[in-house]
Amino acid sequence: MTDSPAPSSPKQQPAPSVPARGPAEGGPRRHWSLLGSVVGPFLALIAVVGLFGAADSMQGEGGTFLTVRNLQALSVQTAPVAVAALGMTVIIIAGGIDLSAGTAMALCATVLAWSLKEDVALVIRTGGNVQSAAVDVKEAEDRLTEIDRNLSAADRQLESSGLPAPRRERLQNRRTSLQKEQQELQTALPVLQQRLSSMEQQSATWTRFTPAVAVVLAVATGCLCGLLNGVIISALQVVPFIVTLGTMTFYLGLAKMLAEETTVRPDRATQVPDWLTDFLSIRSHAQIGGFPLGVWLAILLALLLAVVLRYSVFSRHVFALGSSEATARLCGINVARNKAAVYALGGLFIGIGGLYQFARLSVGEPTAGIGLELRVIAAVVIGGGSLSGGRGSVPGTLAGAAVMAVIASGCTQLGLRNPVQDIVLGDIIVAAVTVDQIRQRRLAAG
Amino acid sequence: MRSTPIKYSRTPSTSLSGAAAPRSSTPVRGRSRPQSQCWRKTSLRFLPLVLACCCLLAAGCGGKTEDGTTAGSPGATGDGPAKYTFAVIPKGTTHEFWKSVHAGAVNAAMEIGGVEILWKGPLLENDREGQINVVQDFITRQVNGIILAPLDSQALVDYVAEAGDANIPVVIFDSGLEGPPENFVSYVATENYNGGALAARRMGEKLGGKGDVVLLRYNPGSESTGQREAGFLETLQKEFPEVNILSSDEYAGTTPESSLDKATQVLNRHREEIDGIFAVCEPNATGVLQALRENELAGKVVFVAFDPNTDLTSGMEQGHVHGIVLQDPVAMGYEAVYALHRHLQGEEVKRRIPTGEYVATPENMNTPEMQQLLHPEQFQK
Amino acid sequence: MTSPSPAAKTSAGGQPATGQEPAALLDMYRITKRFGATVALDEVSLQVDEGSVLALIGENGAGKSTLMKVLSGAHQPDSGSMRLDGQPYAPAGPHEARLAGAGMIYQELNLAPDLSVEDNIMLGQEQSRWGLLSRRAQRQAVTAALDQLGHRDLRPAAIVRTLPVGLQQLVEIARSLVNQARVLVFDEPTSSLTRHDTLHLFEVIRRLRDQGLGIIYISHYLEEIREVCDRYAVLRDGRSVGSGSLSGVSEEQLVSLMVGRSIDELFPQVPHEPGEVLLRVSSLTRRPLPTDVSFEVRRGEIFGIAGLVGAGRTELLRALFGLDAVERGTVEVAGQPTAASPAARIRAGLGFVSEDRKSEGLALTRSIADNLTLSRLSACSRLGFLSLNRQRQAVDHWMQRMQVRAAGQSQPVGELSGGNQQKVAIARVLYQHASILLLDEPTRGIDVGTKAEIYRLMGELARDGHAVIFVSSYLTELLAVCDRIAVMSRGRLRAVRNAADWTSEDIMSIAVAGDEGTADEGTNAGPPPASPAPTGHP
Repeated sequence: MTDSPAPSSPKQQPAPSVPARGPAEGGPRRHWSLLGSVVGPFLALIAVVGLFGAADSMQGEGGTFLTVRNLQALSVQTAPVAVAALGMTVIIIAGGIDLSAGTAMALCATVLAWSLKEDVALVIRTGGNVQSAAVDVKEAEDRLTEIDRNLSAADRQLESSGLPAPRRERLQNRRTSLQKEQQELQTALPVLQQRLSSMEQQSATWTRFTPAVAVVLAVATGCLCGLLNGVIISALQVVPFIVTLGTMTFYLGLAKMLAEETTVRPDRATQVPDWLTDFLSIRSHAQIGGFPLGVWLAILLALLLAVVLRYSVFSRHVFALGSSEATARLCGINVARNKAAVYALGGLFIGIGGLYQFARLSVGEPTAGIGLELRVIAAVVIGGGSLSGGRGSVPGTLAGAAVMAVIASGCTQLGLRNPVQDIVLGDIIVAAVTVDQIRQRRLAAG
Repeated sequence: MRSTPIKYSRTPSTSLSGAAAPRSSTPVRGRSRPQSQCWRKTSLRFLPLVLACCCLLAAGCGGKTEDGTTAGSPGATGDGPAKYTFAVIPKGTTHEFWKSVHAGAVNAAMEIGGVEILWKGPLLENDREGQINVVQDFITRQVNGIILAPLDSQALVDYVAEAGDANIPVVIFDSGLEGPPENFVSYVATENYNGGALAARRMGEKLGGKGDVVLLRYNPGSESTGQREAGFLETLQKEFPEVNILSSDEYAGTTPESSLDKATQVLNRHREEIDGIFAVCEPNATGVLQALRENELAGKVVFVAFDPNTDLTSGMEQGHVHGIVLQDPVAMGYEAVYALHRHLQGEEVKRRIPTGEYVATPENMNTPEMQQLLHPEQFQK
Repeated sequence: MTSPSPAAKTSAGGQPATGQEPAALLDMYRITKRFGATVALDEVSLQVDEGSVLALIGENGAGKSTLMKVLSGAHQPDSGSMRLDGQPYAPAGPHEARLAGAGMIYQELNLAPDLSVEDNIMLGQEQSRWGLLSRRAQRQAVTAALDQLGHRDLRPAAIVRTLPVGLQQLVEIARSLVNQARVLVFDEPTSSLTRHDTLHLFEVIRRLRDQGLGIIYISHYLEEIREVCDRYAVLRDGRSVGSGSLSGVSEEQLVSLMVGRSIDELFPQVPHEPGEVLLRVSSLTRRPLPTDVSFEVRRGEIFGIAGLVGAGRTELLRALFGLDAVERGTVEVAGQPTAASPAARIRAGLGFVSEDRKSEGLALTRSIADNLTLSRLSACSRLGFLSLNRQRQAVDHWMQRMQVRAAGQSQPVGELSGGNQQKVAIARVLYQHASILLLDEPTRGIDVGTKAEIYRLMGELARDGHAVIFVSSYLTELLAVCDRIAVMSRGRLRAVRNAADWTSEDIMSIAVAGDEGTADEGTNAGPPPASPAPTGHP
């Protein structure tokens, strides 16, 4: 910032200069830079909104960009990335990175979808669900009718004369084995039917817990994914980039395995609860005070995290870890445990992000997280987070996520083509990283 | 087609001139200048950002000239205001298939006149959330209608309903959508089941009603290819009872590479018996053709493909491919735009509009009709 | 110096060397260099004669390295002029300087370890014909340069990585010689050398001097300077404060020239009385350093540890603090054994101020407040949440106590000057209620005034019953501040004596001695202050 003294023009070398400056000029300068780091990302957001708003209002019909409806749409488009990016903010502040965030998030969404589809509360209670019990009954019944048909066909053939002896014998054998199977099935069928009806009864009590259990499972999955990353990183002391590059594919594989390599589609009418369908919907019936539940929850989470980052002892350890791990160790901070905690916390937000992703897609798609991690990281970086650690903020991250959503949405509404959108987004990220570097250098010079 | 009515050239209001790009670029850029200058004064730190924004504007203006045109004609400045703005949302924007859909949509818009096509898909194919965002943004933009090829039969249901809330009619094309049918106006697509049946008939005919065939499936859970597979199997069983199905439970995956691997395995296993093979979509067919060639079975095994590409077309010329089931993407775009327009005019629109399926064979492939389907028109700026 | 007078004189008054008197080989005249508002060099003049060795001395930050960077072309002076060999000399960059005949040998060697001696020597000045390396011409130049150094035996094809440090340095010197260097600058060349290699280097330097080169020798060790240099020039706060012939100048005179005040001012004495044993270290061992270190430190005692760089002093402190896992050995505080982790040692009352302030000692991007309280956040928090108010009060108190000059406690530490950074680092240790302070080179790279403050603080801490372990490479301060001094070499604690019983020569001779050194002298804890004088050295 070239705020106060006029002579310090950019022409001069930005070389070490601080001692003389320290006490005298430090005050205003510091306040500026502090203000800049908080307001900076929002300026970017305002600038982008202003640009698109202006361009949009010129394209006729008065423009639709600066409307409440668009604000709502943008908020729900921002929310999934923003929630995951909150966790990533903590990880990046601690000097780490989590490339597995995207696929882990899709894994969580898949776990949620799978749990709903399988009626997980009932599975936990009884070891099965109505669907599978019904399938068992149906299979048994089908098999019985088939046996019936085969038996009568065999009978008819046996009745007809002129069958060669060996053939007749084979038919006889076949007939006995079929009859045996028929008997077995006939005894088994009532058991299966009873199982089905008891399952249905139990379902009346237990199925209502399924959504809650499913959400808990999904969020727990996120935590576990994060914890696993953290434990590997601190136990093996491998660079987070490499570890999470590995777990990225690992989580993708887990999700695909769970989903049996397809998309998990719980039945929207019966299996997905209404609150989850409306969680990120901007249709009027889903709104509470202008926004759906999910947006409010995201805001609440952001507030909570902001408080934690400002007031908690943990956050000081995280910041110290990110700005200098050696210093943290020197100050008696348990580096390994804190790292594991940081990634687990990141995982918690990823789990919640999975909930958002499912709410938005209403299906569990194992591959839906590929590439998502980069958007999550970009949100943090645009928001002033530093990939070398030690810096990042909640409001910045929210603004960063919003900037990306605004660009994507604005490009669509202006009728700009995809390549343009890609290019603009890339520019913004490079700009953000450049700003970070400039700040960094200024501090290093000091 | 390109003759746009002169009478629209005197626009009663300038409100829509922004849609015609060269006009809009000047004011927008003009406004950005003072803004960026005052920024530079406040702080050098935001210089990169300012640059990026300028870049955005420049790119934006450039991009719009190329794409945001009303369908009238390339030099559309003289055009009248578009009465309707239609958003066409494909599953992706890079595949040739979608470019043909785009061409068809633009053709229809030009025929009708006064219809502006906004063409925008997700950044990546398979990016459901991206497509959802695009749908929502066009609802915000208050386009007059949306034409959508849903990436997911379930994930898009709510957002099509959202369009309904905003009184924006939606036409679905290419792939089906679940949910209440009143959510959308019409479904414009290939009859995939029929396509599979056509393949079965071509196969049966070529084999003389006898032989062992393999069906290579696409990927579990894909609705359109599932229908093709069902159509193929059921037609074979019904009409060619003496054709035996060697294998119908192998999934070849979504890429030519995975198909090549799978096809090679299947061919090795059934090398002695196999007489025919059907690949249910274009990437699979590409892989299968290569597998046939590598196993020196090309030409010896009857090979029916679904959807063309240059490789398959030349394979047909060489006698390696014996039939290609063709869809008509141009018709898809064309019919969808017409359906939406008719709906907006208050006319009755059919719920289901098939766009036709055809079989190209070495015998008929050089007829003009087949040539057009084998090399469908593509959208060009 | 062109003037024949041996007395010290300020060189700022000298005229540019022209005309009647024989011109100096290198003449830097009234060089001024500013960085922003800071004046790093203020009209500094310096002359080096042919066939002489000039000692350039001064505290850290006095401007020595800036001046040398001007000489080597890395910085351009804002005003002033230079002449080399009578010709105007204004290099645009290091390469040009090298071509003009000014060579630099830095503390850290600039070698490509995987290339051969020859390739390293010729790096950037390869002899080639039609784009192909001309091996023969190269070999000739290399042999000539090695000859000049008196080292014909150094094989040009040897890979540099495989050579001992002393020989690597020769390679670096040879690199300057193939350029027909006229002036060679040695910047702290001995800090990583053994005594043997150091003596060898001095021979080389004398040899080069006799061949008519002008040599600038930068070192902290006044003893070394006397061994090899003829003249001296002292810089303080970016100004020339004195120069002349070394003969007839006392060490005290040089020191007071360097620091700009008398020894008494520099080393304020605070009376303190050693009490009972507070820290007992027994046979602390870690691979490769330190080896089997045992000693005791008492309350109210300042315990110095001297030794060369690489002797294992820092490693000893790190092991002592639990930062690095040890193979064996125990650390007892007030008779109680302590677990080997930083957290446990902090609880036991140890506090560590790292020599590497910028990357280990402090989290530069964080605020003063966070840095100061980081090791004992529990004091201003409840249930894991901070009371920012309480933190602010505590930080205010300590910033005042330590006289930290800053814009406010939320200013990032990285923006402070070195001295103020060090004050914050020490304040943290005090805030965490450490009773045993491990200070690793605490005065490195900070201004004289702050140094004096830190010495005074150490005295006050000892007076208040703390134990202070003070590691330094600067013997003068060790001798002035400590009650007892131990000397380390090659990972072992060689000798412990009362400070009054040491001379810097004694310390150096033990520090460089290595294994054959005087291990007889009490590797055990030294006797209390009133013990009889050790044997051997008078």
